[in-house]
Amino acid sequence: MAEPVRSSSTQAPPTQAPSFGYAVMRVFDLSIGEMLWSRRTVFMALVVGVPVLMAVILRLLQAAGASQISVNNVAVTGPVIFGVMLWMFFLRFSVPVLGVFYGTSLIADEVEDKTITYLFSRPIPRSAILIGKYLAYLACTICVVLPSVIIVWLLIVPLGGGSLGANFIDLLKDLGLLALGLAVYGALFALIGAGMKRPLLSGLIFVLGWEPLAGLLPGYLKRLSIAYYVQGLVPQAMPSNTPMSLLQGLFREVPSLTESLIWLAIILGLCLWFAARTVTRREYILEQ
Amino acid sequence: MTRGTRYFLAGSAFVAILGLGTGLVAYYNGGLPGVSRGSEADLAFLPAGAAAVGFADVRAIMNSEFRQKLRQVLPTGEELNHFKTELGVDIEHDIDTVAAAYLGGPTPFSGAVVIVRGRFNDVNIETIATQHGAVAEQYKNVRVLTFTHPVAAASVADTPLQPGEQIVDADVKAHPVPAVAFLQPGVLALGESDAVKKAIDAGESGEDLRKNTELKSLIDEVRGTGNAWFVGRTDMLAQHSGMPQEVVDHLPAVSLFAASVHVNGGLSGALRAEARDSKSAEQLRDVIRGALAAGKLVSGDNPKMDAMLSSLQITGSGNSVGLTFAVPPELLDLLNGLAAAHHLNDAPVKK
Repeated sequence: MAEPVRSSSTQAPPTQAPSFGYAVMRVFDLSIGEMLWSRRTVFMALVVGVPVLMAVILRLLQAAGASQISVNNVAVTGPVIFGVMLWMFFLRFSVPVLGVFYGTSLIADEVEDKTITYLFSRPIPRSAILIGKYLAYLACTICVVLPSVIIVWLLIVPLGGGSLGANFIDLLKDLGLLALGLAVYGALFALIGAGMKRPLLSGLIFVLGWEPLAGLLPGYLKRLSIAYYVQGLVPQAMPSNTPMSLLQGLFREVPSLTESLIWLAIILGLCLWFAARTVTRREYILEQ
Repeated sequence: MTRGTRYFLAGSAFVAILGLGTGLVAYYNGGLPGVSRGSEADLAFLPAGAAAVGFADVRAIMNSEFRQKLRQVLPTGEELNHFKTELGVDIEHDIDTVAAAYLGGPTPFSGAVVIVRGRFNDVNIETIATQHGAVAEQYKNVRVLTFTHPVAAASVADTPLQPGEQIVDADVKAHPVPAVAFLQPGVLALGESDAVKKAIDAGESGEDLRKNTELKSLIDEVRGTGNAWFVGRTDMLAQHSGMPQEVVDHLPAVSLFAASVHVNGGLSGALRAEARDSKSAEQLRDVIRGALAAGKLVSGDNPKMDAMLSSLQITGSGNSVGLTFAVPPELLDLLNGLAAAHHLNDAPVKK
């Protein structure tokens, strides 16, 4: 007796749409490789490589017997140099600039490459695409920036009698601060990237134009910048020895630690929510 | 995720874990050999109840340009040679770090212990110590040499005490009894006998200075700023100093104080005091401002003194009062010049 043959016309039961979390992880998995091996990563390597190079040069100079750096005849120790480098190179430059370059490209690149259609045609929520890409951005930048900071810390802090052990807690605070900065800047520029036509230009104007300007303006305008709240965390993250107070003296009006943390959390949450909402509702028209 | 991406993420995680692991080890052990001669390891032998603690990176200070210049001004010191001959310890080369704690006691000089880290000939030290009346004993598996009191010894008899002899006298008990303990290879504890034993207890039980959160947090702040530092609690020091109560009552309302010095080409440092309230802090600032103004008035047109006084800066806010200072290398050159001129004037003139 012949076996019954399954008809080719029989339809498989419809598969259930993946959950939001699963969709986010799939997009994350897809995006992180794209981000890491893009031209932007070369730029990122340059941005975080310069402080490492400077740290190596300082160590070599010390090994060659060069005299210790001093300001106004006061010796500047390794922890102080590290604090200054962290502020100048990472918090004021690398973090916002990486946020701009990566954050604005999360959706804008897909639109520009005309590949957003393929993502939107998948049976996943559109917001999961943005969140997955945002998490990939965070993983990508954190995996490059934090090891760079740790290397600089290992090289610089022992200069001038600085102790690694005594400054370890400060390093943890610094790493947390950097991760928070990357998250907040990334969320803001993800929103700009999702909603604006020329997001990179707008982002650069915000980071290199508005934020430095707002810091100099009197009144409440500085509260409309992320740098204002990030610098509110800096006194907690930096060593509180005397030469550092010179640097801290430059930022006389800073919000409290609690206020900074609350506002950064609000900015992060709101920006991500609005960005996800924008991606869900907006109709992206691909230029032919 | 591609293999390359996985390798990259793993490499990044490896660097982060390695760096953080190094930091963590340094945090618990106090610096790493060859990276930083931290003071953390020495704190492990200082009792938690210390009223004041000091530390000096002797090696760095001895090798500094400042020290070389100072040697030209000050005599070379026969006492150093005497120390080397008697104990076989060359302070300039054999000692790396010195950490000291004051625990308080019935007299101002009792309750002090010094932890010396370096390269020592233990046998030579013990031989010489026992020749000078020290008695060797084991205390919790640590060899301790306890000295009989020299003042008491002299008063009891003209002949020196033999090893093992003890003086049992009510007056003698009031005097601190010096002792030396060999804590670890290359680590000595010197000081008053009870304090040395407390240092051994602290090293064994872990109830060391790192458990004193108040002093430890202050130490963490100052020790990165110089190769010598000192921190203390004013109330405990005043209580044990033997000062008259009238003097203690008029001490500035300072609860904690710290000083750190960095010795290199010149000398730079910072003094810091934590006042009990902001009013006391402001009063202290006023006193310092007045002293600085008086110093500038007295210095006249001397550019070197003016440079040094200009380097004095008042810092701190709220309850914290600080003063930074710097002695530039040029000032030492000036002192050298003055010393040379003084020697020329003292030299006999041939007629």
